[in-house]
Amino acid sequence: MKRITIILLLMLNVIIALTAMEINGREIMQKVYERPTGNDQTAELTMILINSRGNERERLIQQYQKDYGDVEKKIMFFIAPADVHNTAFMNWSYTEAGKDDDQWIYLPALKRIKRISSDSKSDYFMGSDFTYDDLGDRHPVQDEHTVLREEEFEGEMCYVVESIPKENDYIYSKTISWVVQDSWLGKKKEFYDEDGDLLKILTVKQVEKIKDFDIITNSEMHNVQSDHKTIMMLKDVKLDSGIDDSNFTERMMKRGL
Amino acid sequence: MRKIILLILIMSLGAALNSTLNQRGFVRSYLGILSDDESFSIAQNTFDLRLDYRKNDLNLYVNPVLKYDNLSEELTLSLRQSYIDIYFADFDLRIGKQQIVWGKADGVFITDVISPRDLSEFIMPDFEEIRIGINALKFDYYLGNSTLEAIWIPTFQSTIQPDAGSIWFPETGEFQQPVQISEPEKVAGKFSNSDVAVKFSHLGSLLDLELMTAYLWDDTPAQHKFLQVDSSLLIIPKYHRLPMAGASFSKAISGAVARMEAAYYFEKRLHTADLITHGICRKDYLHYLIGYDHNWFNVDVSFQFVQEFIRNYEDIITKDEFTNTLTMMLNKTFLRETMTLNIFSYYGLNDDDALLRLKLSYDFSGGLNILAGYNLFTGDTGNFGQFNDNDMAYLKVRLDF
Repeated sequence: MKRITIILLLMLNVIIALTAMEINGREIMQKVYERPTGNDQTAELTMILINSRGNERERLIQQYQKDYGDVEKKIMFFIAPADVHNTAFMNWSYTEAGKDDDQWIYLPALKRIKRISSDSKSDYFMGSDFTYDDLGDRHPVQDEHTVLREEEFEGEMCYVVESIPKENDYIYSKTISWVVQDSWLGKKKEFYDEDGDLLKILTVKQVEKIKDFDIITNSEMHNVQSDHKTIMMLKDVKLDSGIDDSNFTERMMKRGL
Repeated sequence: MRKIILLILIMSLGAALNSTLNQRGFVRSYLGILSDDESFSIAQNTFDLRLDYRKNDLNLYVNPVLKYDNLSEELTLSLRQSYIDIYFADFDLRIGKQQIVWGKADGVFITDVISPRDLSEFIMPDFEEIRIGINALKFDYYLGNSTLEAIWIPTFQSTIQPDAGSIWFPETGEFQQPVQISEPEKVAGKFSNSDVAVKFSHLGSLLDLELMTAYLWDDTPAQHKFLQVDSSLLIIPKYHRLPMAGASFSKAISGAVARMEAAYYFEKRLHTADLITHGICRKDYLHYLIGYDHNWFNVDVSFQFVQEFIRNYEDIITKDEFTNTLTMMLNKTFLRETMTLNIFSYYGLNDDDALLRLKLSYDFSGGLNILAGYNLFTGDTGNFGQFNDNDMAYLKVRLDF
């Protein structure tokens, strides 16, 4: 009897230990949020917009970003199309939950830097299928996360995590992310509209190892409701090259590339 | 013909330096029709070339503009800007003909007074085409997110007023006696007649701020009136110094942007009905704006309240003590930002007059843009009501390269 009791206690300990090891949705998304991608990045971004008839438009941007811990600064210079050449967009995104981004735009025709409202995060970026919010790092505390299941996706075991926003007026009713176990890389994400219908699917097409960091260099956002796609490609990616702080200033916005 | 040859030479120079030279610009065809009598008020073809040569810490920028006016059959070649930038570690120098823009106002000039304006078509052209490039030396010193800017403008450039026969020639009021208007007195080209200006600006998380002061010439002449022996009136336009101090800021508040801009002018010459003082008096003058920008339902909306205030007002002054204007802008894009609807309206509270500018544009791939617009003036008097007969529909076809 004593032996049986000991065995039962051991089994209970194992069960408790296993339960404690199981990671929850919030922890998974926190790891995705904290996945290291270098302190600074320089890259040439190409966006190809493809409509339902297969017609393509191209956008070309040179971008610089740097992580300062409490704030991530990004500056983008538009190269093409010709009518927006040398337009610059700067975004300062804060890790502090609830603190709005600071955003400015420089329009060469107006020769003026204009602070813009960060409340327009649901706007689509340059007519693409990515909203400004999709391009930023949404803090995990802004959503309730639940692990739906674990499954294999494109040969890798993934956690499938449902994230429901805490605020009522967010642009999506929920998102579902496929996160590769151990590397914490998001491989796929589904976005659902306010009615709960599937709106967009983000699929990572290519990941490159650059300076020991996993960098997504090709991804596709497909709006399944309008059958419009945006392919986003990064070229000439440089990590931790020591981008000077002066790159994220009024001076650089006006000077351009 | 010489103008075209000169432009070809500039382009050939561009081709010779092709490895480090950026050549951009646009070709535009612009046709405007007055609603009242269906006459063509604008028929222009423009070739706007922007050459940008950058090497190490030097940048050369030249912007020649070739314009053919189909109505007057005139071909003009002008240099909108032509300057050299020299970049240093902590400061930059810009030398040459340049447009300088101050302030945070949309569609209104408050502290934005460094570059004079070409008002030959009122405020109808794009502001880039309204601002006149000035010969200046601009020095910018950078300290983190702050900039100290100092400007020296050695030569005077006046605002360009519409010709007397133009539909944009402003109302001058009724005179009881015959009037003779002389040419404006020229500002002599000498060192003591230089303009100087200084601005401090900061761009940061808390707010964006500008503080500025300038010792300028008022680039619009004051009309000095002299009663002649034969009872006629002689008007002599004269330019005067106009010192100013100003400030502007913009700040994000709960997802919106609040803006303010103010300029205080010292002893501005104002027109009066008193011929003993030659129809001129000097008063301090405040011009300010409060603005609010927000995005509602994916529509960019902007409101501005603008006030001009004359201190120590006297009843003989022609202009009102307070002149109040409201502006509203709506901007909405459709079809993945290929189509844009923009409405910008000015409403003059003093004269109950308004200007409504409606634009609908579509971006085709390959840099082609077609814009259809309509300018609607209402009221009888005031800044906008005086042009009540100038309602105009227009079409712009533009190819950027």
